[in-house]
Amino acid sequence: MKSIAACAAALLSLISPIVTADTNVAGPSVSKATLPSTFKPPQVFKNANLVHVISLEKNFAKEQINVVVENDSKEPQDEYFLPFTSQQMERVGGFEVKDRKDSSLTGFVVEAVEYDPFSTIESDCLRRSHLRLNRRLASRLDTPPAAIQQTDKQYLVYSFSAYCPSIYTTVKQKTEVKLPGSDIPEYTKIASSGDVKEFPQKSGAKLTYGPFHEVPAGAVSPVKVRYEFTKPVSHVTLLERDVEVSHWGGNIAFEERYTLYNQGANLSALFNRVKWAQSQYFNPNSYALKEMKFPLRIGSTDAYFTDAIGNVSTSRFRSNKKEASLEIKPRYPIFGGWKYPFTIGWNADAKYFLRQKTGDSYILNIPFLEGPKQPEGFGYEQVQVRVLLPEGAENVKFHTSIPESSITDVVVDQQKTYLDTIGRTVLTIKARNLHDDFRDRDLIVSYDYTFAASLRKPLVVFGSMMSLFVGIWLLSKVDVKLSSK
Amino acid sequence: MAVASASDPSPMQVLADFGKSKSLRTLLRVLILCFIAGAAVSSRLFSVIRFESIIHEFDPWFNFRATKYLIANGFYDFWDWFDDRTWHPLGRVTGGTLYPGLMVTSGAIYHALRALTIPVDIRNICVLLAPAFSGLTAFAAYLLTNEMTTNTSAGLLAAAFMGITPGYISRSVAGSYDNEAIAIFLLVFTFYLWIKALKLGSVLWGALCALFYGYMVASWGGYAFITCLVPLHSFVLICMGRYSTRLYVSYTTWYALGTLASMQIPFVGFLPVRTSEHMPALGIFGFLQLVAFIYYIRSALSGAQFKAFLFVGLGAVFGLALLALVAMTSAGYIAPWSGRFYSLWDTGYAKIHIPIIASVSEHQPTAWPAFFFDLNMLIWLFPAGVYLCFQDLKDEHVFVVVYALFGSYFAGVMVRLMLTLTPIVCVAAAMASSQLLSTFLSVKSPKVKDPAQEDVTDSLSKKTKQNAGGSLRSANSPYVGVYSFLSKGLVSGIMTIYLLLFVLHCTWVTSNAYSSPSVVLASRMPDGSQHIIDDYREAYQWLRQNTKEDAKIMSWWDYGYQIGGMADRPTLVDNNTWNNTHIATVGKAMSSSEEVSYPIMRQHEVDYVLVVFGGLLGYSGDDINKFLWMVRIAEGIWPDEVSERKFFTPRGEYRVDGEATETMKNSLMYKMSYYNYHTLFPPGQAQDRVRGVRLPDTGPVLNTLDEAFTSENWIIRIYKVKDLDNVGRDHAAAASFDRGHKKKKATKKRGPRALRVD
Repeated sequence: MKSIAACAAALLSLISPIVTADTNVAGPSVSKATLPSTFKPPQVFKNANLVHVISLEKNFAKEQINVVVENDSKEPQDEYFLPFTSQQMERVGGFEVKDRKDSSLTGFVVEAVEYDPFSTIESDCLRRSHLRLNRRLASRLDTPPAAIQQTDKQYLVYSFSAYCPSIYTTVKQKTEVKLPGSDIPEYTKIASSGDVKEFPQKSGAKLTYGPFHEVPAGAVSPVKVRYEFTKPVSHVTLLERDVEVSHWGGNIAFEERYTLYNQGANLSALFNRVKWAQSQYFNPNSYALKEMKFPLRIGSTDAYFTDAIGNVSTSRFRSNKKEASLEIKPRYPIFGGWKYPFTIGWNADAKYFLRQKTGDSYILNIPFLEGPKQPEGFGYEQVQVRVLLPEGAENVKFHTSIPESSITDVVVDQQKTYLDTIGRTVLTIKARNLHDDFRDRDLIVSYDYTFAASLRKPLVVFGSMMSLFVGIWLLSKVDVKLSSK
Repeated sequence: MAVASASDPSPMQVLADFGKSKSLRTLLRVLILCFIAGAAVSSRLFSVIRFESIIHEFDPWFNFRATKYLIANGFYDFWDWFDDRTWHPLGRVTGGTLYPGLMVTSGAIYHALRALTIPVDIRNICVLLAPAFSGLTAFAAYLLTNEMTTNTSAGLLAAAFMGITPGYISRSVAGSYDNEAIAIFLLVFTFYLWIKALKLGSVLWGALCALFYGYMVASWGGYAFITCLVPLHSFVLICMGRYSTRLYVSYTTWYALGTLASMQIPFVGFLPVRTSEHMPALGIFGFLQLVAFIYYIRSALSGAQFKAFLFVGLGAVFGLALLALVAMTSAGYIAPWSGRFYSLWDTGYAKIHIPIIASVSEHQPTAWPAFFFDLNMLIWLFPAGVYLCFQDLKDEHVFVVVYALFGSYFAGVMVRLMLTLTPIVCVAAAMASSQLLSTFLSVKSPKVKDPAQEDVTDSLSKKTKQNAGGSLRSANSPYVGVYSFLSKGLVSGIMTIYLLLFVLHCTWVTSNAYSSPSVVLASRMPDGSQHIIDDYREAYQWLRQNTKEDAKIMSWWDYGYQIGGMADRPTLVDNNTWNNTHIATVGKAMSSSEEVSYPIMRQHEVDYVLVVFGGLLGYSGDDINKFLWMVRIAEGIWPDEVSERKFFTPRGEYRVDGEATETMKNSLMYKMSYYNYHTLFPPGQAQDRVRGVRLPDTGPVLNTLDEAFTSENWIIRIYKVKDLDNVGRDHAAAASFDRGHKKKKATKKRGPRALRVD
């Protein structure tokens, strides 16, 4: 506590039902509740055993804190605090809590609370609990040197604390760092307390700090790792995903617009095609992004890949009974600091996604994200999912398994497009700091759509055509001649 | 169809009777016209199906960009548009130097569809505008032909010809978003309205004609064709002694309203009263007043008096008018004929005086095979159709004759003007072939007593009248007819085969010659699948995404519009070619050595230089092949500094290999094209596949430019202009230092040491 100047925490509740509301974390950590600056989280817990796993295998950091929590106080507790620095808070992607012993216990609610900035976690009847806290940090990793040659290796740096930041006393803990390869030219060494001389212990692509004993609350020990990562640090500043549901056509149309940017090291000299062609042949490992694979849902058809100036012919789409895979190559390899905005889209049969619940009520179950599945990971800064429901759909509700802390805004409004009279109902969900780990998360939308509403468009078109014909017929009956013969 | 006068109800007869009902025939005609329009549209979609919905070639990219500007900023901003992203640093008064008809048309369609809640992407509207208008052109050709003959099947044939003839398709495939896309429709429709106005002597039709003439002026520079043809037609009519009040009313209405309409376009402005191209129209307008006056006088005076008056009055007026014209031309009120116009009379003129016009392939004289390629059988039916016009020489037939002569001449002078010839060829050929078909396709052989044959579509009495009054043949021998079924079958069968072959030819030409977007190149993989070479867009997209928003790109003018449209970056010169000196400056920068070019590029704030190089792929339309034009244009302005001769070897060869001249090897264009190219090959095997030569082992050295991007197949190469050296060396010294050479003593020029005073 003392050493962490800024600290935020998550709020955790075992009993409250899942609220699919908007946790307002838009922009840099705007929390729901602000606690008074004099607030001090009660020292009611003790971390009996803690394993902090930091995975840096992809181009973003994934931290997992496995902790056995013990309640020191007499009363049952329902709040557990976890500190974040304000910088981390800006980047934190999904924050999720699970009970390791009983995975069926899913009702943890995570809420960010600010306390100068500070924070809280809530939970009921916590006596001794095994928790798994997952947090993913956005991929804003530093790349020293900032500019490298086209064929050089790229290195990334990640800073963290060897002691897992906690506001409770930790009896026993260990920090494991998983890296993409064994090329780790620099990492901070700290003196050991036990039988090993110094931490960390390096075994292949893994660094282990600890075990440490009896770390007081709030203790930190800054550590830096510099490791090779000659893979693209792909980053999407904005992903706009439109899902258009058509009841008449029995079709669901997907369109995604990516504002892609490679956050990796910049080129120190300008692009050289000869070197690139040669390196493609001899050493295809590069930090330039040259291909993306989108495994789509089975049954997807008519995929396209375009950008601002038209179709990009370097894409392949296979769709059969086993898979539907879209492989695209950008027009040019995307090196660090280069941009490439593009659009992809495809159609799918509605029967795979849409179900009639009762009468006029429908349920739509689609993936929240269907971005590329890259071995090196893929990060999204802003994601905007728009579900365009048919004209006249009402009573729109949704549920998503994306961590609530990532969702920043939810709006239901109307949009007028092809032959609409009142406009289609549009559900817009905005989220931030997501990663391709969340590819398999669902978005379930339920809505009411009456038969009468579905007849609106044909009737309007028919009616207007009829009135046009009748109008012309009436006009043809009018005699406009000046002289009558 | 058959003649319906027989008594025995054969099946053919029933069919013929069935076809006689008026409403059914109207329905059939509408259906046939709809199918023709459908065929016209769909035959233009090859490129969309094969490639994608994309804007083609060069000029359309500007039109597309201008349309997007119009849609984004509204009409008034478009009108006042000053574009600072072209012709850097001059800029271009775009709103006042373009024909806005095309953009406004697609903008109007865009907004109309929006209002009907059909939000179609503007790109798709632009891509499909030309095919859509070709359907309308077919309809206009139908109307025009119907004015020429009473035989409606001729109109339908003309519509079909117009719809699919390659001469018109060449400029109106989907994606060819150029002024011609709508202009040909307007041309044909204006002529139709003119004929209609002339026939009826109606102010209403004359005004409509003027309205469409105004639209035409707003759309295409080729409006001058109408401006010259209509007066010429009127003049010929007067000379033939066919002056009538109909002519007077229609011409004066058209001229007065049409000229006013045309002057509303900023680009045209006062040209209709100030340039020589427009003088015929004005002259005929005056002449008509004179003729009308004379006719009035003649009705009032006696013969001898009138003769004297005619000599004195006419002579005086003509003399005065001519004097005024000469005086005003020499005083500069009326511009003399422009160079572009001279090149229409003397095809060698442009090559000598205006290389920039001669460098455009579509301004070359037409080769003979092009006529057959673009018009196929229509070209030999065309004279027959014109001959038929002489058979029945009414005012409107004179128009066909005049148009045919005029159009043929211009089509022979410039490839591009094949377009203006095509409509009349279709009309004349349709008249000829329908005459042939209706003669030979009648089931009933004439009875000896009957005044012969043909034409089912009209009633018997009408037909007799037509035959008696119309064709010479029937006047000479009224009992002539086709009696034998064999000859009927043979001729109509052959004609059918020709028509089918024509369709085949059109399809083949359209598919093979006119449907390539030229932005993307298609090739075949070994397994027969299509492989698309997309280097242009690769490089343009790279420029668009990874350079500064206002990075100035220098390239040869051909690519200016594409860079503006696809890469969205400011350019130095583009396809508008309004400033020859500026283009020559770029030509000079390209054709001079680095020491000369670098200051030019610095002065024009150039950030990147773009060249097209086809050596790796064998793409022949590259900059080295266009290089001589750059040299010529630069030489036109700086004859002392750039000399075309120096780019040829002493033996007069244009070489790029080891034998190339020093001037060639030192020119910026050569260096940029071949820089680093030899490293792609094993030593001694560097090859230029366009010019089929082996290149030297050591490539050129570039000191003032850095290679910034080269596309996958090396078609586009982009170079970044180096900034000034930060320790004040010249670039050659800095580059040689970077290569690890010792600093030359000679470059060490240091003045006496002086105390620095700040």
